[in-house]
Amino acid sequence: MTYCVDMILPFDYQTPKTLKEACRLLGEAKGKAKVIAGGTDLVIRLRNEEEKPDLLVDVTCLEELKGIEESDGTLSIGATVTHSEISDSSIVKRYGSVLAKAASQIGSPQIRNLGTIGGNIINASPAADTLPALMVLNAVGRVVSSESEREVPVRQLLESPYKSALKPDELLVRIQFKKLSQDTCCSFHRLARREAMAIARMSLALLFRMRDGNISDFRFSPGAVLPVPDRLEEVETFLEGRSPEEDLLRAAACKVSEAIVKRSGIRPSTSYKAPVIEALFLRAMREAMQQCQSNK
Amino acid sequence: MPIKQIGIDIPKVDANNKVRGVAQFGADLSVSSPLHLKVVRSTKHHAKVIKIKTEEASRVKGVERIFTAQDIPGKHLVGTITKDQPVLVSDRVRYVGDPLAIVAAQTIEAAEEAVKKVEILYEDLPSVHTPEEALKPHAPLIHDHGNLLIEFQVVKGDVVAGFKEAEVIVEELYETTWVDHAYMEPDAGIGFMDEEGRVTVVCPSQNVHYDQKEVAGVLSLPLEKVRIIQCATGGGFGGRLDITVQCLLALATYHLKRPVRIVYSREEVFDVISKRHPLTIRYKSGAKKDGRLTAIEVEILGDTGAYASYGATVGIRSAVHATGPYQVPNIKVRSRMAYTNNPWSGAMRGFGVPQIAFAHESQMDLLAKAIQMDPIDFRLKNALTIGSETATGQSLMASVGIGESLRRVKTWRDQLISVSCDSPRPHLRRGIGIGSMWYGIGNTGIANPSTAQIEILPNGEVRLLTGVADIGQGSDTVLLQMASEALGVPIQEIKLIRADTAFTTDAGATSASRQTYISGNAVLQAIRHLKQEILREAASFLQEDEADLFVEDGEVRHRKKRCISLPIREIAKRTQKRFKGEGSYDPETRKLDPQTGQGAPYATYAFATHLAEVEVDTETGKVKVIRVVACHDVGKAIHPQNIVGQIIGGVAMGVGFALMEEYIPGETTSFVNYLIPTSKDVPEVIPILVEDREPSGPFGAKGVGEPALIPSAPAILNAIADAIGERIYHLPANLERVLEAVKKSKRGGKTWQPC
Ligand SMILES: Cc1cc2nc3c(=O)[nH]c(=O)nc-3n(C[C@H](O)[C@H](O)[C@H](O)COP(=O)(O)OP(=O)(O)OC[C@H]3O[C@@H](n4cnc5c(N)ncnc54)[C@H](O)[C@@H]3O)c2cc1C
Repeated sequence: MTYCVDMILPFDYQTPKTLKEACRLLGEAKGKAKVIAGGTDLVIRLRNEEEKPDLLVDVTCLEELKGIEESDGTLSIGATVTHSEISDSSIVKRYGSVLAKAASQIGSPQIRNLGTIGGNIINASPAADTLPALMVLNAVGRVVSSESEREVPVRQLLESPYKSALKPDELLVRIQFKKLSQDTCCSFHRLARREAMAIARMSLALLFRMRDGNISDFRFSPGAVLPVPDRLEEVETFLEGRSPEEDLLRAAACKVSEAIVKRSGIRPSTSYKAPVIEALFLRAMREAMQQCQSNK
Repeated sequence: MPIKQIGIDIPKVDANNKVRGVAQFGADLSVSSPLHLKVVRSTKHHAKVIKIKTEEASRVKGVERIFTAQDIPGKHLVGTITKDQPVLVSDRVRYVGDPLAIVAAQTIEAAEEAVKKVEILYEDLPSVHTPEEALKPHAPLIHDHGNLLIEFQVVKGDVVAGFKEAEVIVEELYETTWVDHAYMEPDAGIGFMDEEGRVTVVCPSQNVHYDQKEVAGVLSLPLEKVRIIQCATGGGFGGRLDITVQCLLALATYHLKRPVRIVYSREEVFDVISKRHPLTIRYKSGAKKDGRLTAIEVEILGDTGAYASYGATVGIRSAVHATGPYQVPNIKVRSRMAYTNNPWSGAMRGFGVPQIAFAHESQMDLLAKAIQMDPIDFRLKNALTIGSETATGQSLMASVGIGESLRRVKTWRDQLISVSCDSPRPHLRRGIGIGSMWYGIGNTGIANPSTAQIEILPNGEVRLLTGVADIGQGSDTVLLQMASEALGVPIQEIKLIRADTAFTTDAGATSASRQTYISGNAVLQAIRHLKQEILREAASFLQEDEADLFVEDGEVRHRKKRCISLPIREIAKRTQKRFKGEGSYDPETRKLDPQTGQGAPYATYAFATHLAEVEVDTETGKVKVIRVVACHDVGKAIHPQNIVGQIIGGVAMGVGFALMEEYIPGETTSFVNYLIPTSKDVPEVIPILVEDREPSGPFGAKGVGEPALIPSAPAILNAIADAIGERIYHLPANLERVLEAVKKSKRGGKTWQPC
């Protein structure tokens, strides 16, 4: 057994100035390169020798990956935008508050100042905090390589725990979603073993609008309970178009834990997680409904 | 003479260098072109070592030498009490992490590469992982002398009669787990031959003079050929009482005769440094309806892991403190510590008392509830006072501040109750809990002397020499304050020489909350002797009668002749003499009887009561500690702010012990999965100091280092029980355990909340 102190296997480091150059470097490396943004996930993996790239391509100088932009009906966030920038952004707070709230609860100020939304997605952790929020926002990633350019819904960017669906020569450039209308109610909740610097034990994001007293366009995604973050359609269809009475919400909460058990199976943690996710779900629903009340 | 330096908040003498980043911790130490050391460690829980193959590893470019047990010239085993822990294993590994070889190489890379190439041939042995298993008749033996490290009893009165007399009896099982010290600085250090040809090691440590003896034994060198210097030390909490890197550095230096350096990674620290002992405590106690305790019967079983370390101390101390700070007429406590193939447990802030306090304070609340008495009044009714006899039959003569701490906390609690009420959100429930403790200062019923010297050189320089290791707790400052006060020389003008075996003498360990009390007394004695010497010299120099002279404010003065006053440093200068005062102090104790545990194990005790206010999320099991009121009887606060620092740190550690800290062998690797409280998890702390003077203490002081931690977790656990009406018997009270308890609760438990 050996313990590495500060030893990371040697690699080259490039900081391309253009997207084209970045794509070229990734293409030429033939799978031996890794993209680095904030490095808050990658550097740990390097130290543990879970990744052994020959080359790191630093994408933090690429203009195309920066900034938060608003155009027509969409909001576009550069892949290297940090969690601090997102949680401080007045446009994100306005048109995608569920994401601002998720980003504001990540790690610690230091981690939020370094960690990026692109890194959070591509690291593909089952507990990544922005993923449930991006899921309910129907966010889509723009992915480019020397050869191609494609638009991929966030869910399709994830393959399995800690494995994204990006090809080695692909870069995530931006994340886009439709601006939420001002009558949308949303909520993000997160539970961890301590108040900061702790991976979420469970999280969830949801949003909907009220139409004539009924829930409309209901979207829901739990975090840290599925191997790969996802929406729970069975819960969404269950609530769609119905009036949010207490009994119905409780029934929906049961559907939440059922759906999770169905997908993840019964695990040692299930006896804890199932009732708690139900409680968090109810809390989130009540919070969102209160928002609806005050929106009126 | 008015007191000037005692009881004031001067800047800590080490603070300036630390905040400026100038202080050198283990990994900061530089030495010219050192070889880098890396340790080859066992991957097996329990196995015979058939062969250690180093040939391929030695061929790695840059590798200078690989050491195994064969290279040890002297003793192979070290250990503070029982010497059973190999510096390098030759025959049998007993836990995952046991050291087998040291690689010395030109670069860290080469050393790491070579470590991977050392091949160990093992023959697996059956391993044992619980103390219960270990004590079964045919359990695999971990050490030849058997798996029972120690069995110890405290017996007093007649428990059968005591329980017969009781009107309520409560019996429960309490469990605690491994806790890591989580000191900020990973172990590291350097070794070299000093200018006088001594094998020299500089590293963080809690006791350089102990380290020196162990290293000398291992190298088979006379003590004076080994020098240990303590560098700035990033915390200890008991983890640096045992040998960590000292022998590895010394062995390599001894053979290579050139500088060497070692730095552990955080993962290595987690795997190979001692842990807090997991204890299983069966606790039965009885009381009369009027609130008098009649008897306790306690069975303690601990897991000391692969090696003894401080297992015996924890076994004995937890038994001696099992009553808590209360008078109990009939007592039977049995405490056993067993070896297992788990990581070794050792000293950690409190030596078993934090664990036993969790049990006795839970019992106190359960009993109070059973007889429908206010928990503070119930404690007060039984609290030790002057004249009380402890569990070991010791009569307390002075400085018993437990009652006062309870009364002070009671005032707070009554205020809190009048304002606090359940949160408007129904899933959040508030609760208040009390935790009290007592803690014997110094080692248990054995000699634990300290020594110190104070000198005035012919040039007038004043030097205080002490072997005490300041590990951040503030002994440098406090000892200087005492020296300054007693000698009348300003602190800035006293040069402190500390924890370097080339200059200092044995002060014992920075442990057992003993340095202020014991080494403080040694310093004061040294000063008394110095003054005598100065007066003798002054008498002949001034041609005055010695009996007419005295020292005040750093000057020799004459009782009758006002005009005679001469700074003591002037006397040294004018006479061109060097004055030296030797001091020593060993607290007065009486050995514990091996059969009954009766005796007077400590010269003085510290007392404390904490109140914790918590908010429990009954739907998630999340506990938020809102506030801790921490009242401590410290005898005399030499440096109040420093004590407050100890208390706040203790509460933080207590929050971790209560709610989240849990080292799981084979799973925990680093701070990724070992969670300690962050600044956001630490509650508001309201410290209250009670100064019930200890007549034998320096200026009346006792100790506070460990007491600061001990009552927090019990208070928090009692507050959780108050909030949800159900109790948790297994630490930590993590999300899962709290939710489990909520499910069980019938919500009957609110005792004091009027809303
Ligand atoms: C102490 C600590 C606390 C943390 N707490 C949290 C937390 O509470 N919640 C949470 O969700 N996460 C947390 N994290 C994880 C991490 O900070 C986040 O996932 C962060 O968003 C990662 O972003 P990054 O820019 O640092 O990614 P990097 O480490 O730079 O990259 C991560 C992965 O994404 C790839 N990548 C990055 N950018 C791109 C791109 N534009 N295109 C293609 N691939 C890319 C990299 O190759 C790598 O595989 C924590 C980490 C630490 C160290």
